[in-house]
This record gives sequence, structure tokens and C-alpha cells, in this order.
Amino acid sequence: MNNRYKILVVEDEANIRNFVMTLLEANDYQAIGASSCREAQLMFLSHRPDLVILDLGLPDLDGTTFLKEIRKESNTPVIVLSARSDETDKVYALDIGANDYVTKPFGSAEFVARVRSALRSTQLSGSNANLPGGKFESDGLMIVYDSRQVLIDGVEIKLTQTEYNILALLSKHPGKVLTYSFIIKSIWGYDDYGSTKKLQVNMANIRKKFGAKPGKKNYIFNELGVGYRMCEPNEA
Amino acid sequence: MKQWRSRVRDLLITVIIMGISFGLCMSIQYFFKTEALIPAIFILGAFLVSVLTQGYLFGIISALIGVLLVNFAFTFPIYHLDFNMPENIVSAIIMIFVSTMTCTLTTKLKRQEALKTEGERERMRANLLRAVSHDLRTPLTTIYGSSSAMLDNYHEFSDEQKIKMLNGIQEDAQWLIHMVENLLSITRLDDGNVKIIKTETMLDELIDVVLVKFAKRYPDQEVQVDIPEDFVMIPMDAILIEQVLVNILENAVQHAKGMTELSLKVFVIDKKAVFEIADNGEGIPEDRLKNLFTGCFYSDDVVPDGHKKNAGIGLSVCATIIKAHGGDITAVNLKSGGAVFRFTLNLEDSQDEQQV
Repeated sequence: MNNRYKILVVEDEANIRNFVMTLLEANDYQAIGASSCREAQLMFLSHRPDLVILDLGLPDLDGTTFLKEIRKESNTPVIVLSARSDETDKVYALDIGANDYVTKPFGSAEFVARVRSALRSTQLSGSNANLPGGKFESDGLMIVYDSRQVLIDGVEIKLTQTEYNILALLSKHPGKVLTYSFIIKSIWGYDDYGSTKKLQVNMANIRKKFGAKPGKKNYIFNELGVGYRMCEPNEA
Repeated sequence: MKQWRSRVRDLLITVIIMGISFGLCMSIQYFFKTEALIPAIFILGAFLVSVLTQGYLFGIISALIGVLLVNFAFTFPIYHLDFNMPENIVSAIIMIFVSTMTCTLTTKLKRQEALKTEGERERMRANLLRAVSHDLRTPLTTIYGSSSAMLDNYHEFSDEQKIKMLNGIQEDAQWLIHMVENLLSITRLDDGNVKIIKTETMLDELIDVVLVKFAKRYPDQEVQVDIPEDFVMIPMDAILIEQVLVNILENAVQHAKGMTELSLKVFVIDKKAVFEIADNGEGIPEDRLKNLFTGCFYSDDVVPDGHKKNAGIGLSVCATIIKAHGGDITAVNLKSGGAVFRFTLNLEDSQDEQQV
């Protein structure tokens, strides 16, 4: 019986596809490949993968078209492979439903970590956070959702309502990049000029209260020009 | 839109200069009771307009206005246009001739200057290309050589040898990635008139991203950080400024021999954010200081064995990026030893300075 996760790799460059598939297989996933959008559509329907790795620059159709099609009918996590220079593409892909992006060129460790976290996020979503007694724990940080408490190494951190709401939102999607506009819409309900600044100031306050030092391991990662990413929770 | 604005500006210049000339003539006529100076003043006016405006149009217009005014207000019959007097026609021809010649000359001059900067840019680009292609060969040799050796003699190598070769491949590939990132930054800017898109960026987020990236490449190099406590928002292309900071930090690691301390300091003064990256290494050789940011020293500095040296490109990329942001970049040696790289960014976005 084969119960490994099945991952569809959509990438037109054969070398990259081979390397990614080999890497996934070495990490005990089952990898299937597609080199064009049409092929990917067929593979997606027939194999029902647990995760899709999607390169945006495909020869026949734009990768985002495929992404939209997937989102019409399922929540299968999608990791987008993108080039360095186009933040707008990244933001767009995330906003139309990609779970994460990996910037080319990427190292194997980083890539496998993203795959793992994307697969876990579908397992976790809504399972723990919204139940009574739900908690988020990672490396000394603990968020207790019932009592809206945040503790670092056992010491309670006083956050404002908004700061707590932002942190709780991020922690409910650990390992996933949330775009500025997604966070703003979830917290304030609307997105207007100056909202990003408001969000950034709140984030700066959270970092300050956390005693975060630039460049050191912090709980929230900055993705400049895109959004924020919460660190992974500790393994239960 | 821009052309429109320069047209309006030229029109304003023409009106002002011709107005002044007219006023001057009126007063000269009133006080000195002489008409001898008047055509000379209008010729001077037309000349100035030709120098200060773009193209031929306004110079010729002002010459015509001059001719008409002289004819109308200052020559007999006064307050009457009269083209029957031969001296009026001669003075009109002279004025038009002078302004046309001036326009031709200034336009030629402006064109030549543009050609010169274009040529300079072209030369820099050629230099860069030569240096880059030379530099690319070295890591490619490692990557190609090691991988083909492994494929051909996979079983003959010990595990240790294989790991050593794979490490070499990885290291040189990383160097290539870095080089390509720099080249991409240049192409993002080097199209001449491309405007960079500035977005408000939170300083501590930028520094965090830079240090995380730097720590990935040089896990053993500690960086001391000193940034303002309060929120500082700086309009910038964050990807490019990130590149600048990483390049300068990396340059210190690679070239400041004997360095034990590396620091990054940011402070705000006069609506400007000043970034300082200081090390306590051996400093920058005096003969390098002058051309540090131009990439020029690169061409005669290629080591025969083609050893990797991307400082030339890295720093000239920094200079290009900072200039495009309307800031300044400098490097000086410290008396106490070591070097400081300093660059500034405006805290307020001024539209005019966004051009390369």
C-alpha cells in the first residue's frame, strides 16, 4: 500500500524538474512531473496530488492560470517557483491562492522545509487553533488562543488588541507567507492607502516587545515587499 | 507630460527675456534719448533665449518678436509697423541670422554632450562585460570539470573526494548566483531612463533581511548593529538596497584582511538616512580609492589565474543603485585602521532624483 504524499512538479526545465523530483523522492515523497500547463491539468485530475510545485513561466499557458483552476475546485497546497526580481508576481500568486513561494535558485534544505510546512499546513488548518485549549508553541514562544495570552520563555508579553490579532493570524498559518494585503483585510476589513504602513508599525511594535534583534532568529520572518511569515511550531 | 513642462518653461524664459529687453530699451530711450543700443539689446536677448531654450523654435520666435518690436516701437515711424525702410529689413535679417546660428550651435553642443555620456556608458558596459565573462569562466570550469569527472569515474573516487568536489561545485555555483544577482540589478537600472519604483520600507525589516541573508553566507562573521530605536521609513527599491548592503558587507569579508570587527550603523540626519559599514581590516589601498565605485580598475586588475574577484562589479553596482536613488556613496580609510563605506538615502521622496 502506497501512502506516501504525492507531489506534482510542474516545471518545463527538465534539469530543474529532475533535480526537484529526485530530491522529493529522496525525502520519501512520491513525485510526478509535468512539463506544460496542459499536461499538468491532466495529471492533476488523474492523480489528485497532495501538493503542487508550480513554475510560473510555462511554455503553453501562464502558471497562474493553472493555479486559478486548481483553486476553483480544491485547496491542494501549491508552492510557486519564482525568479528573484519580481515581487509583484510573488504577491499576485500568493493573493490568488498559492500557499508559498520559493525563489530560484534555491537550496535543497530550504526547499524540503517549505514542502513539509505546506503539507502540514493543510493537515493543521483549523484543527488545533480554533479548538478550546488551542495553543501555538515554538522555541519558547507560546500563544494561548483562549485567553489571548502571549508568553516568551514563560514571561507574558503585553500586546494591544491589534498586535495580538496580527500575531494570532500569522500563527494560524505557520510557515506560510501572508501578504500585506491579506493581513490588512483580515485585521481591519479594508485595505486603503497607508494601511501597509499601519501594519508595518504594528509589526515593529511586536518585534520590539518580543525583544527581537535584527538578523537573529526571530519568530516572525520579514519578506520584504511581500509580507510576513510565522516560524514553524515545534513538533508535537 | 515632461515635454509639455519643458515647453512651458522655455516659453516662460522667452517671455521674461524679451520683456526685460523691451523694458531696458524703453528706459534707455527715455533716459539717454538714443536709439543706437536698441537692436544690440534685442540681439543679445534673442541670443540668450537661443542658449537657454531647447531647439530652434523659441530663438527664432524671439528674433521675430525683436524685429517687430524694434520696427514698431523704436524706429521711425514710431508705433507703426513699416517694412519699407531698408535699414529695418537689414536689422531684421541680422537678428534672425544671429539667433538661428546660436540655436544651431547650442543644439549641436547639447547633442555632443549626450553622445559623450552615451559613449562613456557604452565603454563601462563593455568593460563590465569583458570582466564578467572572464570571471564566469573560473567557476564554470570547476562546476563542469568536477561534475564530468564524477560522472566518468564515479566508482573510482572515494566518498571523501566526491564530497570535496561537490563542495567545490556548490561554492562556485553560489558565487555565480551572487554574480548574476548583481548583473540583474544593473540591467534593472541600466536602461538609462528607467525609473526605480520606491516603496516605503521599514528600516529594521530591511536590516533584518540583510543580516539573515549575510549570516547564511558567512555564518562565522558577527556584525554589530546600531540602528535608531524609533520607526524609520525610507522610500527605496528594497531589493536593490538589500543588494547594496550585502555587497558592502561581503566586500569587507573578502578584502579587509585582518578584520575582526564589522559593524553596520544607521542614523538619521537632515531628512537623510546615513548607512555606515565599518571594518577594522587593513583599509583600502590609496590607488584603489579613486576608482573604487566605477568598476574601471577592473580591466587592468584581472589576475592571470583568473581567481575570483568580484569586488569591482559589486561596488560599482552599489554606486549605480545609490545614484539611482538620489543618494551618495563614499569610502574612506580610518586613521585607526580599516575602512568605512557610507551611503545616504533621502527620507522624503523627491520625484526629480529618481532618474539614473
